[in-house]
Amino acid sequence: MMVGRQLDVLVICGSLRKGSYNAALARMLPALAPSGLSLRFAHSFADFPLYDADIQTASGFPAQVNAWAEAIRAADALIIVSPEYNWSIPGGLKNAIDWVSRMKDQPFKDKPVALQSAAGGILGGSRAQYHLRQCLTSIDAIVFGRPEVIVTFAPQKFDEKTLELKDATAIDLVKQQLAGFEAFVRRVAASA
Amino acid sequence: MADLNVLTICGSLRRGSFNAMVQRALPSLAPDGMALKPAPSFAEFPLYNADIQNSTGFPGPVNVLADAIRAADGLIFCTPEYNFGIPGGLKNAIDWVSRLPNQPFAGKPIALQSASPGPLGGGRVQYDMRRAMVFLDAFTLNKPEIFIGNCASKFDEKTSELKDETTRGLIKQQLTALAALIAQLSRKG
Repeated sequence: MMVGRQLDVLVICGSLRKGSYNAALARMLPALAPSGLSLRFAHSFADFPLYDADIQTASGFPAQVNAWAEAIRAADALIIVSPEYNWSIPGGLKNAIDWVSRMKDQPFKDKPVALQSAAGGILGGSRAQYHLRQCLTSIDAIVFGRPEVIVTFAPQKFDEKTLELKDATAIDLVKQQLAGFEAFVRRVAASA
Repeated sequence: MADLNVLTICGSLRRGSFNAMVQRALPSLAPDGMALKPAPSFAEFPLYNADIQNSTGFPGPVNVLADAIRAADGLIFCTPEYNFGIPGGLKNAIDWVSRLPNQPFAGKPIALQSASPGPLGGGRVQYDMRRAMVFLDAFTLNKPEIFIGNCASKFDEKTSELKDETTRGLIKQQLTALAALIAQLSRKG
């Protein structure tokens, strides 16, 4: 049952490689989302320069950073789907967050965010998620609690050829999270 | 010739960085026998993408930094904290280097320093760095920790020199402790 208008949710992937399990997970989300959520994908941050305050001062925010920030501002909520690199957030994703965090009308402020990760190991990228929670606190995002989506042993859970998520438990968890997230975003919006 | 060659890596790219000022102060605070030199910059690294690595290999500047790390007896990171975490640019550099064979951080003694305008002086970035360095099999020095809080007041406004005596004393202690850690780790069992 859908209460109120459809919510516009932006999906951000933390990996840049084409065969990424996290990109594969992100592509699954529209099919698993409740009817109250409309999902679209953020543009890649692949061509962001490395953050340097001197660039910002000399020539302002790069156009691609502005476009990314606009997409975040326009969305009702975000879902970040990210791998873990060296027990933490991928540098590229963190660099994108660092850039937009410096903006006036800071895009993450008061934005509901859900987190998902997939990884080959037993912890499924959870360390990147906990570090993201910490960083998102600093920019006043409102991070969704549970259920967490932590896809462990990813190579066993995606189809080798199509990269579709085929693990029933993981699929069910994603559905639960998206349903819970919709309710959460509506609660946050109602109390604003 | 110095006995110990220590590479210093600054996590900020801007010219007026307080952490770069700390980095520049280090040679004057080092114990005898320790030579410090700044690492090659990571400013030109592309954002990590395994597809780049697989199609064209590791970019030249990544190999240059990796070789400098391998050649050093120890490392010191002087880094700001961005959004309660590691600056994306520095993390991107670590991510690139971490994928190399003969992984450069493995077994390397490391010391951490951070300066920031806030009261914690970059405490959070250091604990995140410690975590990443565990995965990379580096050996991060325990104490003393160097958190330079309210940092603007601790540097000379004109010359940018680190003038705070307490901080200078603490850094001297840390560099001596790093020398001891390097000696300890290089001792044959």
